[in-house]
Amino acid sequence: MAEVTFRSVSKQYEGGGPKAVHDLELDIKDGEFMVLVGPSGCGKSTALRMIAGLEEITDGELRIGDRLVNDVPPGDRDIAMVFQNYALYPHMTVRENIGFALEVAKVKKAEIKARTEEAAEMLGLTEYLDRLPKALSGGQRQRVAMGRAIVRSPQVFLMDEPLSNLDAKLRVQMRSEIIQIQKRLDTTMIYVTHDQIEAMTMGHRVAVMRLGVLQQVAHPQELYQRPANLFVAAFIGSPAMNLINVTLGGTAERPTANFAGHTLAIGEGAVERYPQIVDRIGSSVVLGLRPEHFSMEGDFDLPEDQILEFEIELAEAMGAEAHLHIMLDVPVVELDGQPLSVEDGDEIAMSTTKIIARIDGIHYVTSGDSLRLGVKTHLAHFFDPDTGLPLA
Amino acid sequence: MAADAADKAEAGADLRDAPDNGLGRKLKLLSLWHLVGAAVSVMGILLARRSGDIELPWMPRFALQGFFSFAFVAHMASAYGVGARTRWARPLSLAANYLLTLVAASATLHLFNAFQALGDFGEGLYKAFLSFVVISVGLLWVLLSGQMLAHRPTAAGPLRLRRAGWSLAAVATVWFVIKADPSGMISSIGETLTRPLALGAIALTLCAALATRLMWSRPAAKYFGSTRQVDEALSGFAFLSPNLIGFFIFFAFPLLFSLWVSFFDWDTTNTTRDFIGLENYIQALSLDFVSSAQSNAGTEVLRTDYQVLANLDWFGQHWVVGARDVEFWLSLKNITVFLVLAVPLAVLPALVLSSVLASKLPGMKVFRTIYFVPSVAGVIGVSIVWGQMFDATIGWINYILDLLGISEAGQGRGWLTQPDTALLSMVIVFAWMSFGFNTVLYLAGHQAISKELYEAAEIDGANTWQIFRRITVPQLRNTTFYVVITTSILALQLFDIVWILARPIAGGPNFATQTPVLTLYQEAFTNNRQGYASALAWVLFVIIFSFTLFQFRRQRSEVSAGGVS
Amino acid sequence: MSVRRKGPRATIVRIVTYLCLVSVAVIVVFPFVVAFATSTKNSQDIFNYPPTLIPKEPQTVDPAEVALSDVDADEPLPLYAFPDSDTRFALVDNDVSVAEFRLLDDVDRIIRLNVTSGEKTGEVVIIDGAEEDIFAIEVDGTTVEAYRSRLTSGGQFVSLDDPTDVRVELVNVVQPLQQFGPRLENFEEVLIEKDFGRSLTNTVLVTIAVVSGQILTSILGGYAFARIKFKGSGPLFLLYLGSVMVPFVVLIIPLFQLMLQVGWLDNLSALIIPFMFSAYGTFLMRQFFISIPIEIEEAALLDNASRWKILWRIMVPLARPAIATLATFGFLYAWNSFFWPLVIINAGNPDGRVLSLALSTLGGRSSTDLNLVFAGAMVAMAPPILVFLFAQRYFVENSASSGLK
Repeated sequence: MAEVTFRSVSKQYEGGGPKAVHDLELDIKDGEFMVLVGPSGCGKSTALRMIAGLEEITDGELRIGDRLVNDVPPGDRDIAMVFQNYALYPHMTVRENIGFALEVAKVKKAEIKARTEEAAEMLGLTEYLDRLPKALSGGQRQRVAMGRAIVRSPQVFLMDEPLSNLDAKLRVQMRSEIIQIQKRLDTTMIYVTHDQIEAMTMGHRVAVMRLGVLQQVAHPQELYQRPANLFVAAFIGSPAMNLINVTLGGTAERPTANFAGHTLAIGEGAVERYPQIVDRIGSSVVLGLRPEHFSMEGDFDLPEDQILEFEIELAEAMGAEAHLHIMLDVPVVELDGQPLSVEDGDEIAMSTTKIIARIDGIHYVTSGDSLRLGVKTHLAHFFDPDTGLPLA
Repeated sequence: MAADAADKAEAGADLRDAPDNGLGRKLKLLSLWHLVGAAVSVMGILLARRSGDIELPWMPRFALQGFFSFAFVAHMASAYGVGARTRWARPLSLAANYLLTLVAASATLHLFNAFQALGDFGEGLYKAFLSFVVISVGLLWVLLSGQMLAHRPTAAGPLRLRRAGWSLAAVATVWFVIKADPSGMISSIGETLTRPLALGAIALTLCAALATRLMWSRPAAKYFGSTRQVDEALSGFAFLSPNLIGFFIFFAFPLLFSLWVSFFDWDTTNTTRDFIGLENYIQALSLDFVSSAQSNAGTEVLRTDYQVLANLDWFGQHWVVGARDVEFWLSLKNITVFLVLAVPLAVLPALVLSSVLASKLPGMKVFRTIYFVPSVAGVIGVSIVWGQMFDATIGWINYILDLLGISEAGQGRGWLTQPDTALLSMVIVFAWMSFGFNTVLYLAGHQAISKELYEAAEIDGANTWQIFRRITVPQLRNTTFYVVITTSILALQLFDIVWILARPIAGGPNFATQTPVLTLYQEAFTNNRQGYASALAWVLFVIIFSFTLFQFRRQRSEVSAGGVS
Repeated sequence: MSVRRKGPRATIVRIVTYLCLVSVAVIVVFPFVVAFATSTKNSQDIFNYPPTLIPKEPQTVDPAEVALSDVDADEPLPLYAFPDSDTRFALVDNDVSVAEFRLLDDVDRIIRLNVTSGEKTGEVVIIDGAEEDIFAIEVDGTTVEAYRSRLTSGGQFVSLDDPTDVRVELVNVVQPLQQFGPRLENFEEVLIEKDFGRSLTNTVLVTIAVVSGQILTSILGGYAFARIKFKGSGPLFLLYLGSVMVPFVVLIIPLFQLMLQVGWLDNLSALIIPFMFSAYGTFLMRQFFISIPIEIEEAALLDNASRWKILWRIMVPLARPAIATLATFGFLYAWNSFFWPLVIINAGNPDGRVLSLALSTLGGRSSTDLNLVFAGAMVAMAPPILVFLFAQRYFVENSASSGLK
């Protein structure tokens, strides 16, 4: 077990172009389950592969334990990796696949057998030990890949989107299994995914990356409650946080957020967390409201100036809760000149902002209804529209 | 950035600081060894003049002297570098030692007559052939069981088969050794071991190998601060080296040497070697055109050294064409005729047949296999059979023609002995041998044609012939191009068929079957004019290469233009 | 498949198509049939016109069965047929003195009898200005007069049915009786007496050595080009590709000189060592290795396997089809090569020959023993054909696709 430390690590591919990883500073603690998350192209896989030694580091220092490993070949780093496509040796049985690294290390046959069988048992693969990979299902193959990594008792475990090729149900099941394995082995585990739900449920800490730059690294709850910038705010949470271009108005004692004809008072809690609100009265800022910050009038005790009337475009009855889609006549929030699109393939019309409110499922709402919803603005987030930083 | 560099240097110093004692001692030995190596190189340069009592022929002599000169410099530099612990010391030392190992090993093998012995091994194999067959059977079982195990790794049957195979091979090997009687070889080895030069070569090989091993190891790599890239590059060259060395010695060097030789008047035994520049080429290619009133003018109207190649009537004038090397020009003419006849005959049937074979009728695979067999049976056997079939008195061709009523019994044509038909016979043999292979090439091309084209044509009401002509053939344009070019290149190099079939002499009746490669062979090995023959080879090469280049360019442009390829 | 027209027209088309295919197949196979048939014939049979496919041998009979007391032969006696008799005659002695008698009444009729037969009548007759004795001979049961026109040697024939029916006749006038008789001794003869056996083992040696060498160097080189990054690998690979375009013809003279100077002339090593590497093979292996997903190799690198181990434990087992293709190509090339052995091996050295060379010499030298030549041709052609048939599923697909890349 060991810590992994990135010090100003950058990766630039030959032939120029933007850096894949830009000045990464990251400390991963010994025994920690760290998740690297971000949209595709954000540099998370590159960072992982740099730890593995499969990518060369252009600048900076990478240490595993106390050891500088920039120039150390992958086989010497005492790490194990589970690939997205499992990378099992097709012509070897499960047993041989798992035992291969031990064989390379010239471990005694008896010990190889023992350790292989132990790892197989841990993963429920005992009856498949003499099969070839092509005779296994996706989930079983994934476990063999894990077995291969486990049996080496490495210092660091790396996982590169291991669950993305599995169907949803299997994914959920494997998630918990992976967490349990990590607990049992107590090894440093670094896990890459593009799925923020996975990130939030699995990691001790989560590092959010975007375009090669680390946005924020923190405990999932902290990422959720105190996003370091607009991107993290929008990325973390499902459904995503609603971001609305508003103009601040009102007074220092009771500031308001004004948008699309609505005037929404801002609760005290928000002003405490985002003091700049008071200084910025009159200017445009970005208001962030999580779907759960909305409630049906009456479900939560709120002052009148925090209750607004909306027309519901689409009501999704989820059973325990209902998601209400509301279209606001406000231009979409932009990040770096682009409409904020954090999910791949998300398409947002430029001139209207869609927000999603989450209310208790007991209410019977249909699309087209006009409702009065309370907004818990004391929990809201506020960001500067140009820098994306919180108005803290 | 500066901080990074300083960090790096610091890290570097960490690595380089206190070397393992064992390593340090070994490296000191290594420096010493390099000095020894340098001394040996000097000895080698001097020794290369003589191998025992015989003076070495110039090729190995130059090679060895050249190598040892390089080795001298490399070893001196390495001795310094290893001591001073420079970064370039490791690659250089590795190169020097590795090459030295190879050269010393080759020299050792040569001194032990190992290469000759390889040939003599043929005798042992002859004596013990049956046991060899048994060994092969055993190994075949091992191979087969390996295939079976690839699908079911723990099946008992294949495992047993494999073990049986190994046992059989082992027993048969013992039998083989007994039968093949290596006593002669063993005694000769013993004898050679007494020669100091042989012992020296062995020692040199071992030391150089050890030195290479030492420098290759991880501790040494770390000691000299080797980077991942350098390591990978060294790895790459190491893997490539047998291939690369073979490539240079047996391809690149001969290619360049052949060009060099073509500028000399050089005979086989190297007794005369005069530089004559382009004279060989000039002699080969010179043509002379003289107009003459007489219709049967001979050499007198041509310049000196020219002989009559042909008499032509152009534009109302009578021309006498002379050449300095009539045989060569005749061979060019013959091969052109051959090309024009043989290529269509080898390509068109393939085109038509492949269209039939590409359909999903039952049994197509069988036919495809049958048609391919002539291409693999071996030119010599095939030519001998056809030679028999073309025989004027007892040949099958005449007999069948007789049966069909086309010719009369007893009036058998002398296919191979008549100048008009000699080349034609060879065209037939060549086409017969090639069309099967071309059919398979076309079949691959067929697979690239999308089914929808045919379906659309069917809906449009096209019949089979129209489909063939308007869709299949144009779609196969690229394949046709490739097939034509490859067949042409083979046709241009016609030799084996001619050698076997041509009667009474290799050039055939009236030089009707004289081909360029045949001319080359005769000039090189019968007339002993290797310089001239090399020039002919290069002329031929240019002709063939232009075909290849044409094809290559065309393929490139098709691909880049997005054509169907 | 789209709806096919049924009915007599379509069937006819089908039949015609198959007929065409079969006739082409016949053209392809026929020379091989001829080779096979001729290789089992005896040497006399070959020179018959019209040529036949079925090997025939003379019918014979055990001498013990011929009830003649003065027959002292050990070998079976060949049987012949006479035009005027249905029985078969055994040739008991093919070197008897035969006298040709011409009848005085019918000078054009020739009777051949044993030289001892006929009695001189004591009279003479003038034929062409010379005096000839008149003999009384038995013809068809009657005694007639004739003179002896010629003494020659011929054969004595005894009828199998009637031991008293003894005739003499010129051997080549009588029709020999033949039966189906493949002469398998041809193969034995050609292998042993004509040094073909040695050529066979030489060819086996050369082929195995060359193929093994090519496989080994191509695997190593192909892997280096495919997966290892080193400076100059790009241009070097292009050079390799280019070398495929150079015809061998250009290299024979310098290679010959090289072999001469290192002393490998006339030795099998000259046939083996220069061909132990193959640019085409390297290309083939490289293409194949590139197609293996790189993650598998990365996984192995992480397992701390050395490049060597990765190559042999992982890449090569996956590369079986490519290796099989390479082996087949290499085998066919090495087994059938002729030009280079012709140049290198001395014409007078029977021990150093390979099959193609031996066959060529055999064909030139032994044109009277054509059956042996064909037996040799069968020996030379059978292995590549068999190897091809066995390995064709790799061979045919690959030769087609690799060419069109």
